[in-house]
Amino acid sequence: MIRNILFYIKEAFLSTKKNSIISLATVICLTATLIIVGVFLIISFNIDVFITNIESQLTAIAYFKDNLPEAEVQKLVNEISALKGVKEVHYISKEEALQRLREDLAEHEDILAGLPENPLPSSLEIKVYETDYLEEIANLIGQYKGVEEVNYGGELTRSLMMIFNFIRKAGVGIVLVLLTISILIMFSVIKISVHSREQEIEIMALVGATSWFIRWPFIIEGFLKGLLSSLVAFFVLSKAYKYFINQVREIIPFMPMGMEQEFVIKVGILLVLLGTLIGIFGSMLSLRKISYEEL
Amino acid sequence: MFHVFKTFPNKIHALWDINIHIKKGEFVFLVGPTGAGKTTLLKLVYRGILPSKGQVIVDGVNLSRLKLPLVPYLRREIGIVFQDFKLLYDRNVFENVAFSLRVVGTKNIVIKQKVNEALNIIGLYQKKNTYPHLLSGGEQQKLCIARAVVSRPLILLTDEPTGNLDPETSWEIMKLLFKINIWGTTVVVASHDKLMVDKAQKRVIRLEQGEVVSDTRKGIYAK
Repeated sequence: MIRNILFYIKEAFLSTKKNSIISLATVICLTATLIIVGVFLIISFNIDVFITNIESQLTAIAYFKDNLPEAEVQKLVNEISALKGVKEVHYISKEEALQRLREDLAEHEDILAGLPENPLPSSLEIKVYETDYLEEIANLIGQYKGVEEVNYGGELTRSLMMIFNFIRKAGVGIVLVLLTISILIMFSVIKISVHSREQEIEIMALVGATSWFIRWPFIIEGFLKGLLSSLVAFFVLSKAYKYFINQVREIIPFMPMGMEQEFVIKVGILLVLLGTLIGIFGSMLSLRKISYEEL
Repeated sequence: MFHVFKTFPNKIHALWDINIHIKKGEFVFLVGPTGAGKTTLLKLVYRGILPSKGQVIVDGVNLSRLKLPLVPYLRREIGIVFQDFKLLYDRNVFENVAFSLRVVGTKNIVIKQKVNEALNIIGLYQKKNTYPHLLSGGEQQKLCIARAVVSRPLILLTDEPTGNLDPETSWEIMKLLFKINIWGTTVVVASHDKLMVDKAQKRVIRLEQGEVVSDTRKGIYAK
């Protein structure tokens, strides 16, 4: 067994050496494809991070009219809580609102010092399950008697989400197309390498090598090329992403982006998996049938 | 072979109702003009092709019923020497012979021993590190024989082994084949080398246009 594996690996390297230019071209092609796939993966991951971030902030705020009796407030809270799609309702009293403003202003607290009375209305923070509910719920709440005004992310949030979802879907499509292309590249290259070793394969078949024995060196060749390509692609991408993330953070410090650690693991694993699978699959495809006939 | 017919897709009848029985340990010449069906017959024996009709039985196995995954195991019992050599020109003499053992998973130490032994018998041991393109035609032919017999097959099939060689070298090759035969391997030689066939005094099966026209013990090339 080990002896055979050593033979396969030796033959795989021999074949790579024999077709060094083609091998190099394959690795470059595959690396380029994987880099593009990787870019889409990164974009997709970041959109995920972004969307999760926005979704956690899917909040409508209903401001109450001033001097609304406590009983009325409680009634509204109960009614709104019972609405479909509402996840959580949090009441913010006038005092609490002022307190929050103070905290937000922090060093500039003196601005508030001159106020004769608390100008902030009491309000209700309403978290919803999905963006789609947001507008509906906001409109509904706006019709309640005790409610002065309703604010929500509204149109902007929704169009942003739509754009992201579109990018995500388009990304999946593009990645699929790229993967198909790279499998075809691998397929043709292994085919060339099979062709250039036709006589060896023929002799193997004639002296009684099993079809899997003949296939293994090529599968290993595909695997190694895939592995090498994915490692190169990953190296390039991680360097580029690190640079990119630093640049972005300088401009927008709190931009929610995939953390490096997370990126390294996710994208790395995916790329290596993809690269090696493409390599193996491409090889298998070009070696579907070993001919024992008509030699 | 029992009532073997072989028709190729282009409707050419390569073989027509062939009935041949070759015993274990025999030495047989297959003669006849080019296109008589000699090579086709050899291909039938190692299951390079299947008969259109009839049965080919090798070592008790009906090849028409032999499942494809088992073909390699049949091939391990058959050594084949081709007209066009089919050598690996990027590997040296030793590796060419070793190749046929490696691909059936033989241990390295056994490979070394068997290959050296085969090269000694064939007379190429001194050139074991040479590359095939530096060998003469006769030496290349010998190398093919070494590769075919290194695994000690039951049957050795050779297609025109003396094809382009001078009479002296041809006879040398013939003597090698006799030697291999004496050690117990059944040898089938397809040839149109009249001189060699006549000199050998072995069984001669004559094919013409795909049919057996004569089958004689201690025969000669022509009738």
